[in-house]
Amino acid sequence: MTPRDRSRWSLLAVFVALALVISACQGQPGGGPTTTAATGDQADPNGELVTNMGSEPDTVDPQKESFVSEIGVSMKVFEALMTFDVKTGKPIPSAAKDQPKVSADGKQYTYTLRDGLKYSDGSPVTAADFKYGWERLCDPATAGEYAFTGYIVVGCEAWNSMDPKKDDKAKQDAAKAKFLDSIKVDGQNITFTLTDQAPYFNAIAGLWVGVPAKKDAVTKGGDKWTEPATFIGNGPFVLSEWKHNEKMVFTRNDNFRTPTKIKKWTQVMINEGAVAFAAYRNNELDVYGVASEDLRTINGDADLQKQVVDGPGSCTFYVGFNNRKAPFTDKNVRVAMAKSFDRASYVKDIIGGIGKPATSFIPPGMPGYDAEDTFQKFDAAAAKTALGAASADAQTALKTLKITYSSSARNKTRLEWFQQQWKANLGVDIALDPVDSTTFTQLVKKPETLPAMFLLGWCADYLDQQDWLTTVFSSKASSGRVGYNSKAFDDLVFAADKEPDPKKRDDQYIQAGRLLSQDAAAAFIYYNATKILQKSWVKNYYITALGFELAGFTDVFVTKKQ
Amino acid sequence: MARYVIRRVLLMIPTLFFIALIIFTLAHLAPGSPFDKNENRPLPEATVARLNSLYGIDKPIHEQFLLYLGNLARFDLGSSLVKDRTVADIIGSEWPVSAQLGIQATLLALAISLPLGVISALKQNTIIDYGSLLFATIGRTIPNFVIGIFAIYIFGVTIRQIPALSGLALPFVGWGNGCGPLPSCDVKRMLLPTVILGLGEMALLTRITRASMLEAIRQDYVRTARSKGLREQSVIVAHVIKNAMIPVATIIGPATAGLITGAFIIETLFNIPGMGREFILSVNRRDYPLIMGVYMLSAGLIVVANLTVDLVYGMLDPRIKLAK
Repeated sequence: MTPRDRSRWSLLAVFVALALVISACQGQPGGGPTTTAATGDQADPNGELVTNMGSEPDTVDPQKESFVSEIGVSMKVFEALMTFDVKTGKPIPSAAKDQPKVSADGKQYTYTLRDGLKYSDGSPVTAADFKYGWERLCDPATAGEYAFTGYIVVGCEAWNSMDPKKDDKAKQDAAKAKFLDSIKVDGQNITFTLTDQAPYFNAIAGLWVGVPAKKDAVTKGGDKWTEPATFIGNGPFVLSEWKHNEKMVFTRNDNFRTPTKIKKWTQVMINEGAVAFAAYRNNELDVYGVASEDLRTINGDADLQKQVVDGPGSCTFYVGFNNRKAPFTDKNVRVAMAKSFDRASYVKDIIGGIGKPATSFIPPGMPGYDAEDTFQKFDAAAAKTALGAASADAQTALKTLKITYSSSARNKTRLEWFQQQWKANLGVDIALDPVDSTTFTQLVKKPETLPAMFLLGWCADYLDQQDWLTTVFSSKASSGRVGYNSKAFDDLVFAADKEPDPKKRDDQYIQAGRLLSQDAAAAFIYYNATKILQKSWVKNYYITALGFELAGFTDVFVTKKQ
Repeated sequence: MARYVIRRVLLMIPTLFFIALIIFTLAHLAPGSPFDKNENRPLPEATVARLNSLYGIDKPIHEQFLLYLGNLARFDLGSSLVKDRTVADIIGSEWPVSAQLGIQATLLALAISLPLGVISALKQNTIIDYGSLLFATIGRTIPNFVIGIFAIYIFGVTIRQIPALSGLALPFVGWGNGCGPLPSCDVKRMLLPTVILGLGEMALLTRITRASMLEAIRQDYVRTARSKGLREQSVIVAHVIKNAMIPVATIIGPATAGLITGAFIIETLFNIPGMGREFILSVNRRDYPLIMGVYMLSAGLIVVANLTVDLVYGMLDPRIKLAK
C-alpha cells in the first residue's frame, strides 16, 4: 500500500466520524438554538423578518412577472384594487373603497378608490394611475407574460397581439386608442368595460397585473425602473435594497394607511434547499419551506417538530396524456392509466405526506373543489378491464410508450415509482424519457411536439374555477396542453364563465370537472400542500393557498429574538 | 521581446473569434428558447413569435452572429433575454464579487501551498511530508460541494448545538452587508467560501511544488552550486526554488483565471452574488447574450493568463527564449 492509498482510507474514516458527530447532535433533544424562552407576544417595532425567496427574480415588473417569488415582491410594494380574504379567498376591497358596482348587463365594473391613497414617495395615487397599470399590461411592447388576464377587457387582446416592430404604426395606435377607451376614469372612479360577462373579473382586479406602476418613475428609470430608486409603489413595503443574486430588503412604507408591524423584511436568495435548511437552523432565516427530504431530520428533532406549520397549497399535479396521439386517442387507455396507480402510497412514500391524493382537478380549499369526484380512484381491477376494452391499435402503441419529464433527481424517483405501478397493476412497460427543463417546456408547448405522456402541474392564479377548467382544458386553452377536445366540456365551461347566478355557475363547473375526470383527459396525482418551519419569534405569518403573500402582510411581526 | 508580445496579442483576435463562433453556434443549436421558462404555463405561440421578433432571434444564425460581432465591436454586449438587465450590468455587478473571492482564494492557496510544498520536499519522507501529502490528497479528491456542505453543517449547525462552542458558529449566507474591499467586509462570512474555494488549488500547488522541488534538487547545477561552497540557504533559494517555480507558474495562470471568473458551486452554496452561477444558468435558460458575455470574458482571461505565464517563463529561466 502506498502512502497515498492509506491517506485515502483515513480520510474516509474521518468522514464517517464526522457524519456520526453530526447525526448525534441532531438527535439530541433539548439542546439547540431553537429553545427560545417565551418573551411574550409583544411586537418588536424594529423587528426584522428574514425569509428565503429561492432564486433571483428575473423581473419584478408587476406587468411582466409570472413566478411566485416575483409576484411576492410586487404584492409587498404595490396594492391592487382588490385583495383576497386570508381565510375564505374571496375578493375583498384593498385600494378600492368597496366591492365594485356592476352594470345591469354585467359587462361594466366600476371601482371607487379610497380617499388619501399615497405612493411611498408621498405623491397621491389616482384612478388614472391604475389605468396606466392596465395600459402597461396590455401594451405589446411590455411583453408581459400575464397579459392574457387582461384579455377580458375590451381591446386588450387585439392590441396585445400586435407586433410592435412589424405591424403598421397607425393600426397599433388605433388598437391602443380602442383599448384605452374601454377603461374610463372619473375622479376616484375607474370603470372597466368587458368583452363579456365575467364574474371572475373581480378576482383579476385583486392580482398584481393591474397595480398602479407610477408613470413618471417608469419613464425615468427606463429599463431599470424596478431598481430601488424608481420602484415606487403604493403598498405596505418599500424595496429599499436589491443586491442582485443575494437579497432584497423591504422596509416599512410610512405612507401606507396601515403601518406594517415589522420594520424590515429581508428576502435572501438561497437556491440550494440543504443550505437554506442549515441557514434556518443557524438562525439566519426565520422561516423555511420544508421539502420532503428534510422530514427525517425534522421528525428526529423535538425542537424542529415544534416549529412546523402546515398550510394549504394551490396546485394539482397530473400525468398528461396527449389526447391526439395513439394510444391516448382511446379513452379506455387513458382511464386504465389513470386508475392504475396508488395515489395514497405516492403521497406517503414519494412526497413525504406533504400533499393529498387527487382524483379531480380543482384542489380542496378552492371554489369548485368536488370531493365526490372520485372516478379516477385507484382500482387495479377496473383499470385492467378498461385496458382490455382498448382497441388493437392502442394496444400496439402501448408497447413503445414512454413518459417524458424534466430531468432532475427528484422527478426521476417519481417517474420510477409510476413505472413500477403501471408494470405491477396493468402489466404495461413504460420507458422513461428525461429531457432538460428548457427542452421540456418547449416540447409541451406545441401540439406538434407534445410528448405522448408527461408530468405537469397547474397552480391557481386567482380563486375561480374559470382559471382551472377553462384556462387549462377547454379547446380555447392558452396552450396546447393535453389536446383534450370535448364539445360537452366546452359548452359547460363557456356557459359557466358567463353565468351571473353563482349557484348555477358552480353546478356547471362541477359537471364539467366530473366530465374531465371521467374522460381521463389527464390522470390527477396529488394536490400540493405547504409545510414550513417557523421560529418561535415569528407571529401572524399567514400561509395562503395562492402562495404569494396576501393581505399586504401588515400583520406579520416578530417578538424580540433571543 | 516587444515584437513577441505584440504578435501574441494580435494572435488573440482570431483565437477569440473562433471561440465566439463556436460558443454562439452551440448555444443556438440547443433546443428550446429563452422564453421557455415555465413548464406549467408555456407562453402562447403568438407571444413567443412576437418576443423572438422583438429580440431579433428569429433571424438566421449567421446574421445574428454578425450582428452580435458588430455590437461587440462597439462594446455593446446586449441585454439578457430572461432578466430585465443588460449583460454589461450583470457582469459588472457580479464579476467583481467573483474576482475578489477568487483572488482571496488564490492568495490563500499560494501562501500555504508554496511553503508547504518546499518544506515537504526538503523534509522528504518525514512526518511533515506525509502530513502535507494527506492534506493535498484530501483537498484534491473530495469535491468542494461535499466539503462545502459539511463545513456549513459543522460551523453553522453542529457547533451551535454544543453549548461551549456555540459562540464560534459562523454565518454563511451572503457576501456580507455592504461589503466592499476586504477590510470593510464581514470577514466571518468570507472565511468558509474562501478557504473551501482555495482548497483545491492549494492541494494541487502543494503537490506540484513538492514534485518540481524534488526534481530541481537532483539537478547537476545544484550539485555544482553546493560544491562551489555556497551556503545551503542560497542554494535552495537561488537555484532550487527558482527553477522549481516553472511548472508551478504554468498551473497558476489558468487556475487563477478559472477561479476569478466564478465558482458555481461555492457561490450557490454560500449565496454569493458572483458570476459563477451564470455559466450554468445562462446555458440552462438559453439566454444567448449572457452566455456569450460570460464565456467570452472567461475565454479572454484565460488567453491573457496563458500569455502572462509564457512571459514569466522567460524571467524564471533565461534558457527559454521567447523572441525570435
